Amino acid sequence: MTTLATPPQESEREEAPPAPPSQARRHVGRWILFGMMLCVAVIMLYPFWVMIITSLKSETQFLSGGGFSWLSWKTLTDNIPIFQEVLSSTIVCSASIFVILCVGLPAGFAFSKLRFRASTTIFLGLVSAMMVPLQAILMPEFVNVTKLGLTGGYFGAILVYAALGTPFSTFLFTTYFRGVPDELIEAGIVDGLGYVGVLGRLVVPIAVPAIATVTVLQFIQIWDDLLVGLLFIQNTSERPITVGLAVLAAGRTTSIPALMAGSLVSALPAMLVYLGFQRYLVKGLTMGIDR
Amino acid sequence: MAEIIFDGVTKIFGDDIRAVDDLSLAIAEGEFMVFVGPSGCGKTTALRMLAGLEDITSGSLSIGGRIVNNVLPKHRDVAMVFQNYALYPHMSVERNIGFALKIRGDSKDEIKRKVDEAATILHLNDFLDRRPKALSGGQRQRVAMGRAIVRNPQAFLMDEPLSNLDAKLRVEMRLEIARIQRLLGVATVYVTHDQVEAMTMGDRVAVMREGKLQQVDTPQDLYDRPANEFVAGFMGSPPMNLIRCHASAGNDRVAVHFGHQVIELPWNYTSSHALPESGLEVVVGVRPEDVLIVDGASTNTLETRVERREALGAEILVHLSLLDTTTSSTSDGELSRPVSLVAKMGPRTKVSVGDILYVQLSPEHAHFFDATNGDSLRTRP
Repeated sequence: MTTLATPPQESEREEAPPAPPSQARRHVGRWILFGMMLCVAVIMLYPFWVMIITSLKSETQFLSGGGFSWLSWKTLTDNIPIFQEVLSSTIVCSASIFVILCVGLPAGFAFSKLRFRASTTIFLGLVSAMMVPLQAILMPEFVNVTKLGLTGGYFGAILVYAALGTPFSTFLFTTYFRGVPDELIEAGIVDGLGYVGVLGRLVVPIAVPAIATVTVLQFIQIWDDLLVGLLFIQNTSERPITVGLAVLAAGRTTSIPALMAGSLVSALPAMLVYLGFQRYLVKGLTMGIDR
Repeated sequence: MAEIIFDGVTKIFGDDIRAVDDLSLAIAEGEFMVFVGPSGCGKTTALRMLAGLEDITSGSLSIGGRIVNNVLPKHRDVAMVFQNYALYPHMSVERNIGFALKIRGDSKDEIKRKVDEAATILHLNDFLDRRPKALSGGQRQRVAMGRAIVRNPQAFLMDEPLSNLDAKLRVEMRLEIARIQRLLGVATVYVTHDQVEAMTMGDRVAVMREGKLQQVDTPQDLYDRPANEFVAGFMGSPPMNLIRCHASAGNDRVAVHFGHQVIELPWNYTSSHALPESGLEVVVGVRPEDVLIVDGASTNTLETRVERREALGAEILVHLSLLDTTTSSTSDGELSRPVSLVAKMGPRTKVSVGDILYVQLSPEHAHFFDATNGDSLRTRP
């Protein structure tokens, strides 16, 4: 049996004490904030909505404004090897991030926990490398990689991405490990581990938020990058998705719905990676700051 | 189990910061040695050198007869308990305790058996599956202890392990650690800045100051026969009253002048102390419990006024100032300020601020120190 709640009588309403002004202000503030966040969400999500809707139209339907068709997806798969390109992007991304983590994590550990000569100077030098824009070093990088004979396949691009991403990851890991108590490392050493053991068995497991942060940020950056892929991966069979889309867009006649379908395929993995790791992101970025 | 010997051990940071200066000390098998001293006295550095976490600048350090100056921490066979516990946050209590055994290569069954044994000693059986963040401070402390005892090492090293606990838990854990140490009989070096911990836990206590070992002795001997003014003032709560005055030993009496007030102490002090014959400045030390209130003035009493009264429940601390003096207590620094004395009295003693009291310094328990270098003038133990 359920009991229905009766609305309060008029007299009861009058007797009820008014909400304190500060509470009312808080409610108003919360609604204003909610409204602002809603606006931001609409601004952010609207392009995705347009992309999805447009990709489900033929060119004629796109121009006329109505209808539904899978034709653009067929055009996309007929014109570019989209799945091969997604695979190429995945390989380049994964390998670059692997190298970045393999270098950045031990470097961050060393800068934050080990005492060695000129460590501060080296660290500052490394961090200042973050300030150099990609475009400024692209040509020298291209010359070097060409001399090494690595401009054909994935390796040249992986090297360049790893070189560009390592300073940031080292900086982030250093900041993160500064928040980890020295005693934890020393406890491991007294328990019988060497520094490599400490790194592998104690530091890596507690650095999961930082690893996730580096992975997400680097994944988004590398996945979305066009320039390095265009210059350093010259085999058409190994080109990444961004280059594929550029080729599609640069054709004599560009099919906007097909381009939108390709963009959707390109955007999805980065979004999934972000959604998968987002709970670690804030922790990874802020740990060490409050020390 | 092993003997630990510091032989002239020195640690210099940078160019000239002597954190530990020529430390020589032997810790016997199964002994509970406490390093105590104020912040920056070098006690933790000495412990870290013993653990292998700091290099030794000079001197030699041996554990069980083996010089370990250049031996890696993992090969020293010592276990350490840290101030903030340093538990591995990603491991359960069981894995935390058994981690060192796993690294050592013990079999799974052996690890399980030893972890269960340690958990039983530390009453941790119900928490073995929990992560450290799900434990209270006292439980974390016990896990840290478990991690140390499970290894059955040659020595336990403890770096202020109770300082993060609240007062009540600290008392409980103090007893617990002392019980476990006696049960296992492993040489233990325990660092603390809390002299109550030092007094209650240690078989012997090493008092350090500015990197130098001041005195090492049993807690009672440290209290009764401090080697210098620093030890006298550091050990004991409330600390010993230390008063600059002039003493002269002659004509079968020891006269101590507090400005215009004079008291006489038994002549037998001259057989155990190197007291000056003619009124040289010395520092007299008297414990608060050895300041006795008497009914009226006599040749051995000092006239004082009650300046402050602190009722602690079981006792009352009465802060007294000596009347008509030009001497000073050593902590005051400047001369010609009134001498203050702290007296420990029974809880029902009726004293009020402003009262004039006549006090006697317990004639058997006065200490004399050199006014220039602070060394005890005691010549006989």
